Amino acid sequence: MAQMNAAAPRRKGKTGGIRTSFGDKLFTTANYLFFCLLGAATLFPFLNIIAKSLSSEGAVVSGMVTVYPIDFQLGTYKLVLGNTQFLNSFKITAFITVLGTLLSLLFTVLSAYPLSKPNLAFRKPLLLVFIFTMLFNGGLIPTYLLMQKIGMVNTVWSLFVPGLIAVFNMLVVKNFFEGIPESLEESAKLDGASNVRILFSIILPLSMPVLATIGLFYAVTLWNSYFNAMAYITDPALKPLQLYLKELIDSTSDVMKMAGEVDINRDLNSTPEAVQAASIITATLPILFVYPFLQKYFVKGVLVGSVKG
Amino acid sequence: MDIASKDPALGTKPKAQELSRWKRIRKDYDLYLMLVPGLLFLAIFKYTPMYGLVIAFQDFTIFKGIQDSPWVGLKHFNRLINNDQFFDVLTNTVLISVYKLVFLFPAPIVIALLLNELTKMFFKRVVQSVVYLPHFISWVIVSGLFINMLSVNGGIVNTIITKLGGSPIPFFLDPGIFRSLLVVTEGWKEVGWGTIVYLAAISSIDPQLYEAARMDGANRFRQILHVTLPGMASTIVLMLILRLGHMLEAGTEQVLVMYNPVVYNVADVIGTYVYRVGLGASDYSFSTAVGLFESVVAFLLIVTGNALCKKYLGRSIW
Repeated sequence: MAQMNAAAPRRKGKTGGIRTSFGDKLFTTANYLFFCLLGAATLFPFLNIIAKSLSSEGAVVSGMVTVYPIDFQLGTYKLVLGNTQFLNSFKITAFITVLGTLLSLLFTVLSAYPLSKPNLAFRKPLLLVFIFTMLFNGGLIPTYLLMQKIGMVNTVWSLFVPGLIAVFNMLVVKNFFEGIPESLEESAKLDGASNVRILFSIILPLSMPVLATIGLFYAVTLWNSYFNAMAYITDPALKPLQLYLKELIDSTSDVMKMAGEVDINRDLNSTPEAVQAASIITATLPILFVYPFLQKYFVKGVLVGSVKG
Repeated sequence: MDIASKDPALGTKPKAQELSRWKRIRKDYDLYLMLVPGLLFLAIFKYTPMYGLVIAFQDFTIFKGIQDSPWVGLKHFNRLINNDQFFDVLTNTVLISVYKLVFLFPAPIVIALLLNELTKMFFKRVVQSVVYLPHFISWVIVSGLFINMLSVNGGIVNTIITKLGGSPIPFFLDPGIFRSLLVVTEGWKEVGWGTIVYLAAISSIDPQLYEAARMDGANRFRQILHVTLPGMASTIVLMLILRLGHMLEAGTEQVLVMYNPVVYNVADVIGTYVYRVGLGASDYSFSTAVGLFESVVAFLLIVTGNALCKKYLGRSIW
């Protein structure tokens, strides 16, 4: 950027080496304008709902709220944070996100490390056992019947155990391990360190960028998941946040009212829209909070994962 | 994505190594122990359900189990072929996928090209942070955001329409609009994130090519056309083939949160249909047959795509 600024004044005259033509200038301006609009379009739904969550119900229903609150109030957040069902769902989601991410990372690393060894006997067939599950799956019903058979239906385990290893993530980690120079391990091997020891005290400390990326992916998936809950959970005490929110949104929206999904009685004391807005914001905050810290990692991680081939 | 097949150690294995295979296993037994949790996980949660697919060929009841339920051959597949509803579902699935492919596949490529033309690094980084963000938001919340904006009671979009003299549109209840809604919301959520791969491809293009093009008098548009686009062509083809492998998914999780009985006939895709018929109506064998159909077609698409990739690009997905 500094270079550009230094060079810019010299280019102004028509005698410079490479001129900025009128077309180029027009393109640049239009391009910046385009990205301003794209950014605005991306952010607008967030700003709109934040404004709604901070406005009075009357202002929300009358449709006056755009991107700033009208009749500012914080009462809806008090309602949301005082709602035991919301808090309970929040706790369940936090629990499965933390435990699920840690276990997923452990299982993923333990699988990726041996498979990253080019000399491992039966490496290729073992790898195929993993990859085949990406290509073909038993589908919903057989999986559901299995979960029922092993007694996981209506347990908190059903929310994260079926997704413990995402094979794609495992391959990304394996690729990263393969890029670590062999010589780093050899001296430790000569000192008699076991493979387990080498993995945990030499390889993993070097793998923080990829672990942070994969950890973020697992955590976001767990935080955002609702499908497992919809299939395996009927006990209201075990409902994770996304399922709770889905039911809350359904109960409020005119979609379900008009589709006849919500009966009149429930309709009358349906959740105020501002409360729905505040619940959505509160459920999204954890992601918005970790996002800036992990951004530099996931850009790198995606590069490792997707363009190496 | 990795290329197991290009592994040199596997291709040219000397005989001596072959003989000492069992010795190597004994020496590195701890490596194999590490694999145990992963393999157990796959055996239970991935391979056991594959065995469970046999119930598509049975009249399965939960009381009798897989062992004792009667075998009925292709009965459920015949039911599937002669079922108008299934035909609608298949049409929806393919249509929604094709719409998304046509409108959303080129978008990240164009945006990546334009992002690459931004010279103010600070502005570029801010834009990237903003457009990646929706990818990390759950479908439940995305649908909540859009239901909120498009609501007929106080949604901002309908307020504007009313103020301009129009009558409010119930977006989520209009079968003529619902599919567009699916495309737009998926675009809002994923197009920005989709640019990341293409930006990576662009960043690996040799800067000397641009210098040479500039010397030859190419303006920025010409540089995009003759340097940047060819440089990212193989990534574009790879991404296209990957997408084709997921044709039959058509965004099941998205549809499941966003749709409602009024638009079932235009929005029900295979995944949501299996969910409703299987878990909703407990028609286990039939919905397993539907699921098996999906799995087999998806498998064929992915394997074909990978073979094409290998043949024409010299790189493979696994």
